[in-house]
Amino acid sequence: MKKALSYAALTALGLFLVAPFVWMLLVSLQPNKAPIPTLDHLVPKHPAWSNYHLVLFEQPNLPVLRFFLNSVIVTFSIVLGQLFVSSLAAYGFARMNFKGRNYIFFIFLGSLMFSGPVTQLPVYLLVRSLGWLDTYAALIVPGVSSAFSVFLLRQAFSAVPNELDEAARMDGAGDFRIYSRIIMPLSGAALATSAAFCFFATWTDFFWPLLSTSSSNMRTLEVGLSVFKNSYGNTNWPLEMTATVLVMIPLLVAFLFSQRYFTKGIMIGSIK
Amino acid sequence: MKKGRLGYLFIAPATFHLVVFAIFPMLFSVYLSFFKWNLLTSERSFNGLANYAYAFRDPQFWNAMWNSTKYALLSVPLGMIVGLLVAILVNQKLRGITLFRTLFYIPAISSGVALSILWIYIYMPETGLINSVLGLLHINNKTDFLKNESLAMFALVFMSIWVGLGPRMVLFLSGLIGIPPSLYEAAELDGAGKLRSFWNVTLPMLIPTTFFVLITSTIGALQIFTPVYIMTQGGPNEKTDVVGYHIYVEAWSKFLIGIASAKSFVLLAVIVIISIIQFRVLKNQLEGYSTT
Amino acid sequence: MRSTTAVVIGLCLCVSGCKSPQARPEVVLHLSNWGGADDDAEYSRHINDLYRQFERENPGIKVEIESVPNEYVQKMILSFVADTAPDVLSLDASSAAVFVNNGVVKDLRSFVETDPGFKTSDYWPNVFSIDRRDQAIYAIPGDFTPLVIYYNKKLFDRAHVPYPSGHWTFQQFLDTAKKLTLRDKDGKVIQYGFNLTNWMPGWIVWLWNNGGDVLTPSGQAAAGALDSDKNVESITFLRDLITKDKVAPDLSQTAATGVDPFGNGTVAMEMSGHWEMPGFKNAPNLHLSDVGVTEVPTQLPQSRTVMYEVGFAMPKNAKHPAESWKLIKYLTSHLYQSSYQQTGIAVCARKDVAIERAKDPREQKFLDIVPSARGPWGANVVGYDFVEQEGKKMMERVLAGTDPRESLHEMADRIDGYFKVK
Repeated sequence: MKKALSYAALTALGLFLVAPFVWMLLVSLQPNKAPIPTLDHLVPKHPAWSNYHLVLFEQPNLPVLRFFLNSVIVTFSIVLGQLFVSSLAAYGFARMNFKGRNYIFFIFLGSLMFSGPVTQLPVYLLVRSLGWLDTYAALIVPGVSSAFSVFLLRQAFSAVPNELDEAARMDGAGDFRIYSRIIMPLSGAALATSAAFCFFATWTDFFWPLLSTSSSNMRTLEVGLSVFKNSYGNTNWPLEMTATVLVMIPLLVAFLFSQRYFTKGIMIGSIK
Repeated sequence: MKKGRLGYLFIAPATFHLVVFAIFPMLFSVYLSFFKWNLLTSERSFNGLANYAYAFRDPQFWNAMWNSTKYALLSVPLGMIVGLLVAILVNQKLRGITLFRTLFYIPAISSGVALSILWIYIYMPETGLINSVLGLLHINNKTDFLKNESLAMFALVFMSIWVGLGPRMVLFLSGLIGIPPSLYEAAELDGAGKLRSFWNVTLPMLIPTTFFVLITSTIGALQIFTPVYIMTQGGPNEKTDVVGYHIYVEAWSKFLIGIASAKSFVLLAVIVIISIIQFRVLKNQLEGYSTT
Repeated sequence: MRSTTAVVIGLCLCVSGCKSPQARPEVVLHLSNWGGADDDAEYSRHINDLYRQFERENPGIKVEIESVPNEYVQKMILSFVADTAPDVLSLDASSAAVFVNNGVVKDLRSFVETDPGFKTSDYWPNVFSIDRRDQAIYAIPGDFTPLVIYYNKKLFDRAHVPYPSGHWTFQQFLDTAKKLTLRDKDGKVIQYGFNLTNWMPGWIVWLWNNGGDVLTPSGQAAAGALDSDKNVESITFLRDLITKDKVAPDLSQTAATGVDPFGNGTVAMEMSGHWEMPGFKNAPNLHLSDVGVTEVPTQLPQSRTVMYEVGFAMPKNAKHPAESWKLIKYLTSHLYQSSYQQTGIAVCARKDVAIERAKDPREQKFLDIVPSARGPWGANVVGYDFVEQEGKKMMERVLAGTDPRESLHEMADRIDGYFKVK
């Protein structure tokens, strides 16, 4: 009885969370320029797959494949950069002792508060004075380190038993060796988690790429397809939804592969 | 561990990045808040405290601050309660439970823009998903959720609960899994029922998790931007004009750089104060239970 | 791990320098406009062919188009701030002041005066003057449109109402709209008289035609102009079209269908610009031959309207001024315009093309209306887009039930507050 109730609740919740996506897909298959369908006409008799062709290949001013490539370049650079820079710092905070360590770590944590609207403007001006606006540098460099992943990795590194590096130290290993040969290999799951977080946060970042790029060749998928609206007149819902599905597909594929680390990972992030 | 200098080398790249892309910009933002500047001209003129005076007198700014407060006060507790309930629901040994956990997470990894566009559609009168269902049930299906002054804010809150469900669920789930079963056994020996042991064991043991969720959700809620930008542009009648969006408009649409900086700084001060209060309150709670 | 380090460093190095790695011809001109994602592939191809033709005629110059359909003005301002401005940009009259008054676009006079192939007399004078300041010329106009009333003859016939002919008052308009609003036997509206959109660049014309305006003549203040009795009257009139007279569909009702109600054949009249024409051509429930054009109703002896114009400009510190001028000249030439205007997007700023196209009586009607049109405030007032945003909010408040006078007062206060600090 309890089991049945649980399943009922789970299914209802699942529907509630997934129905909008199904709906999105169905609307994207309505004929181009069709008005918004009512529920009973939601399943199209002749799915208009041509909408996908139209959005992907028939938009001379909207290089969707280029947007995709930009997203890939930017996201992977940031993920790699963050893994390296943040893991180094996390090692420092978790396994080494130096003056002011806790204060500096506290500043890292505190900096989580001044993101978003607070620093966007000065970061924009900084990037401008470096001459980076509308280049990959503008999209990548501000993201290659994050206090959040430093925090996440520090938690994981702290959990590795101390005996291991003591043994290594006896063999004459230095800190960098311990970091690269012991801690990093042992923290695969945490690194994967941190990478997964970073991947989704970067891929779906909207505000910064919107601000820091101006030419369509430099736009990421998220920003590029957000402008999928005709400047005049009403929204063309089927094509709009087609663009939305196209944004979602890489995310869902990535999620499918990383989901294990992902759901595990937030646990590492939480304070035990 | 002995003290040494090598540690600085390890944290140097991240610290350098933090100084350049977070601390320096914040200080520069304070500097800019004393100037009048429209970004297009090369010179900026010193304006003293006039920008702060303007910000404090500006009813639209306070309206935005109030909207953000309202949004946070609604979305954070509701989101946390729903997250906890779902965590309890999926913390059962059932076949296929991982599938459900994964499914519930999908909105959180989705593109914010895509979700916002999708939810415009969901909230549409008559043809939108919600109104279509209401129509099938022969209930009034003409409500334009996003254009209705008293409903628009709730519409955004509702969406945020839907989007944030996954991460909160997983966080609480990890908290639940971390509770040693011996505690429940002890409570049972004391004759505590299900509800009682939830109250006396589960909730106190979840305080660290709650603390983490509360602070991150509050900061997130005070900085909400994308849904407002895409779905309502602060409307109707500025009822969803939250402070993140308000500052965006001041800076990037009106190009009032000094005023936008002053307002950002006020916002930052508010966020810091709230975080400190939350930290204090929960730290006391935490210490109270640290013996368990 | 070492290899990862190398990859990261390598990426950083590569990333900071290069933008796009392709081989470049001698000069690449970037041209910005706000054409969005087009669902009309044929149209897009047509336009692209025209650019390729320019490249063939001018070897060594390549044209790249930047489409910025959303927040074009903001993006353009930021591109000037970032020093990544395009070589040639579309300058919309409704926001030209930001660029002209802040001195970021070039005075084209020296080209105009020295180029024997360019004649200012080719253009309509009141269109050409929109982007001028004294003798300076900041943009060469491409096309423009006055706002007009479109009507659907088929729906007029269905309601047995004669077509509008020239001058008409607000009351005559309202009477017509009432007769055009038809209901079925259950009282459900099957056809509306008018479609009111909350789009200030459009509805401002109603204020003008009642003798009111938004800003004082200097363009420096709103109080004293915006909150006038005349404007209260006009805004009340517009509100009542939806709420009291019920001759126009409720705004959210329109949004719910997701299509333009005029194009969908459910509304008999709407006010808009020439840019609707391509959409009308493709509209499922509308024949272009059924579309009529007439002037905006007025309380004045002669109807007034606004004229939205698009010109081509280049940045003050243009990198390739000579080549950019060639492109501007091409974009405003008879060759380009006569072909481009076949899309039906606007009225050509060149007299020759406009007159050729006026063989179509509908096009002639647009030309008849031109003398009564004036440029928008945004052509002269920096920050006018803020006024338009506030206008939209004001109308929202009024439609939600706030008193028009109170709402207009609040709007005036906000505008003047902003003008003081901008």
